[in-house]
Amino acid sequence: MTVRAQDLLLGLVPLALVIALWQALVSFGYAPATLLPPPGLVFRRLAQQLTTLTFEQDVAATLFRLFAGFLIAVVLGVTIGIAAAASPLINSAVRPVVRVLAPLPKVALYPALLLLLGFGHGSKITLVTADALFPILLSTYYGASTVEQKLVWSALAAGTPPREVLFKVILPAAAPSILTGCRIGLVISCIVVFLAEMITSTDGLGHVLVTAARTFQAVDMFVPLITISLLGLILNGALGALRSYLLRGFPEV
Amino acid sequence: MRSRFIPGTRAAPWLACLGLLVLWQIAALALKNDSFPTAWAAIRAIPLILADKEALINILASQRRMTIGFAVAIVVSVPLGLMMGRSRAVASFFNPLLMVIYPVPKAALMPIIMLWLGVGDLSKTLVIFLGVSLPVIYHSFEGAKSVEEKMLWSGAAMGLSAAQRMVRIVLPAALPEILTGCRTGLVLALITMVTSEMIARQSGAGNILFNALDMGEYDLVFAMIIIIGAMGICLDAMFETLRARLVRWSEPQFDMPLSFS
Amino acid sequence: MNVLPSRTEAKAQPVRAPGQATAMIEIDHVSQMFQTSARQDHLALSDISLTIEDGAFVSILGPSGCGKSTLLYIVGGFVSPTQGSARMKGRAITGPGPDRGPVFQEFALFPWKTVLGNVMYGPRQQGVKAAEAEAQCRALIEMVGLKGFEDFYPKELSGGMKQRVALARTLAYHPEVLLMDEPFGALDAHTRTRLQNDLLNIWERDRKTVLFVTHSVEEAVFLSDKVVMMTRSPGRIREIIDIDLPRPRHRSELLLDPRYQKYVVDIERMFDDGPVQGSAL
Ligand SMILES: Nc1ncnc2c1ncn2[C@@H]1O[C@H](COP(=O)(O)OP(=O)(O)OP(=O)(O)O)[C@@H](O)[C@H]1O
Ligand SMILES: [Mg+2]
Repeated sequence: MTVRAQDLLLGLVPLALVIALWQALVSFGYAPATLLPPPGLVFRRLAQQLTTLTFEQDVAATLFRLFAGFLIAVVLGVTIGIAAAASPLINSAVRPVVRVLAPLPKVALYPALLLLLGFGHGSKITLVTADALFPILLSTYYGASTVEQKLVWSALAAGTPPREVLFKVILPAAAPSILTGCRIGLVISCIVVFLAEMITSTDGLGHVLVTAARTFQAVDMFVPLITISLLGLILNGALGALRSYLLRGFPEV
Repeated sequence: MRSRFIPGTRAAPWLACLGLLVLWQIAALALKNDSFPTAWAAIRAIPLILADKEALINILASQRRMTIGFAVAIVVSVPLGLMMGRSRAVASFFNPLLMVIYPVPKAALMPIIMLWLGVGDLSKTLVIFLGVSLPVIYHSFEGAKSVEEKMLWSGAAMGLSAAQRMVRIVLPAALPEILTGCRTGLVLALITMVTSEMIARQSGAGNILFNALDMGEYDLVFAMIIIIGAMGICLDAMFETLRARLVRWSEPQFDMPLSFS
Repeated sequence: MNVLPSRTEAKAQPVRAPGQATAMIEIDHVSQMFQTSARQDHLALSDISLTIEDGAFVSILGPSGCGKSTLLYIVGGFVSPTQGSARMKGRAITGPGPDRGPVFQEFALFPWKTVLGNVMYGPRQQGVKAAEAEAQCRALIEMVGLKGFEDFYPKELSGGMKQRVALARTLAYHPEVLLMDEPFGALDAHTRTRLQNDLLNIWERDRKTVLFVTHSVEEAVFLSDKVVMMTRSPGRIREIIDIDLPRPRHRSELLLDPRYQKYVVDIERMFDDGPVQGSAL
């Protein structure tokens, strides 16, 4: 416990240093407040914004797109990943397509999605799904196809019907890998939803940043960035807690 | 069961490309939507972009910034990641900072960085650098962390100093993981580049894309998508070839034999 | 390889005359070839024929890499042999089934289940009620000396403890044939002796058929009716030695028995003779 506390303190040092440097830059006049507002001002503005309805609605819009896109990606990614690991036929079809689509910069598809699905939620959610899908799919496939063979054998020998092996052995054994993929996918979802909103949107955190940038409101530019960072931290922490609960049996969680 | 060489394995990605294009063609023909041109129309528009001298220069300039940003990021991130992986103190020093930065979209910093450093090469390269760094640090960290302790002990017993152990043992042992990080980083460099151009709307591939969108030249939009997509796939394939050469000894991660089928 | 075939055949009941020693497992001219990355195929087992009687305790001895585990996997139905066939009670083995319980060299415990969860897996799979299965399994866990560790996860156990859990997990679903791959390899001498005695007790009570792979000559002689010696790779049967020692066996008496000592010395001498290529039969 004390070691963890020490680690935590050590980790707070660079954060404190960054904020101190930031404050110093402003205080000693190296950066004009119009370009770099002092940290106190930014955090006060953040606290104030969090209580206004319009900002809350922007956060809600971002969260909705983020979760919708992420959840679709989880369902698709885990299903396709497991299917590709279980069936050689599906594998030989999925593998080349993934090979082509995974390195494709999905954000380049965004204009096409806008043309096809319009400027509303649909195009943004699809973009989030497209970006979060591949890390989840790949790590599911990896996890499922490297399950220790003897685990499967032990289950079969104990009388597990072959078609139940998927749920009784493969899925639980691949869980660490799947959850790692989900964690990466979640962070990517945070990033992508924000960017999509910046490129074109009428609401959401990304839109708040763009509006502020157009009017050169430096303070208001920092607020959505800090908000998305906090959102990412909270979601990541929640998923991490879920992960260590689900995987309490596995070594080195 | 070992996966045996199946004829057509090499052709499979090409077939997949072709299949996707055919699907697109059929979908476009079926939808008959003005703003959704057929694959063939988009392919025919590719020479239009590549023949436009200014556009080509812009794209090449973006590529140069991308390469520089990527290279600098590797040089900084790999040593940092390796040190974090081998020292608990270094890891707990940097971890929270990285955790805070991780979910921030790097391309979203573009407006702020432009405010400070102007719209020149420096800000664009800086954003790419930021975009690439984190996955490379993360993978180097994981790679160095999982180096077996016994290997380092035997290194120490052979009289290697701490720095020598880092270069002679940790670096090669973590290389497969580092290269995985670099591969992710390379694609991210391209993504960050395109996205920041979409946001800044100054020049480059992302800008051409949205200009065409605003002008209603849908063939050009989709042609540009093909170009960017091809860049991503080519970069990835090139890097994968290099990676396979460098770490022939390590089991390729996603080519594992199937263990239950 | 196909590890998910139907198990219905292997479960069928045999027709046999009472009192007569019938063949439980028949291994018939089995060869196993592996494809390796080194382009060249590797012959792991070559023309193995072996009959194991109902209720017999048979040990397999042989140098590392000679294909002992592979032979066990073939009997388990996990691997189908490249040539030849294996039968159980006269029926071809086409896949794994709860009539043959493996204890793997690598333990293969489910990391997401506790000790109790692992041991209860088989009985629950067979449809035993939870409360009943739990009571049985707790007793079994106590028997292998792990009382108090029921709620531990495998990662929290030592190698020897994991091996005992693996043994308990297999015993829990009462297979007719036990396929044990160096089950006591990772144990300290004391636990090893204790578990050998426990295994003998269980065996003398239930007369299960046991196919037992080991590196230890003493262990093989102490436990078995028959010791099968294999040659270096490619694995062939070199010699089958009947161990004609009285049962029930007690360690303290047996160690002093000159017949036991002679078996051990003879077999060890055979090992020292070095590799014998070709069939020594
Ligand atoms: N899946 C496989 N692919 C290729 N070769 C294999 C495979 N499994 C086993 N072999 C080879 O078959 C031979 C026999 O292996 P096996 O595991 O049966 O040996 P063993 O007698 O159990 O050895 P040990 O006493 O060390 O456990 C070895 O030479 C091994 O290299
Ligand atoms: Mg073995």
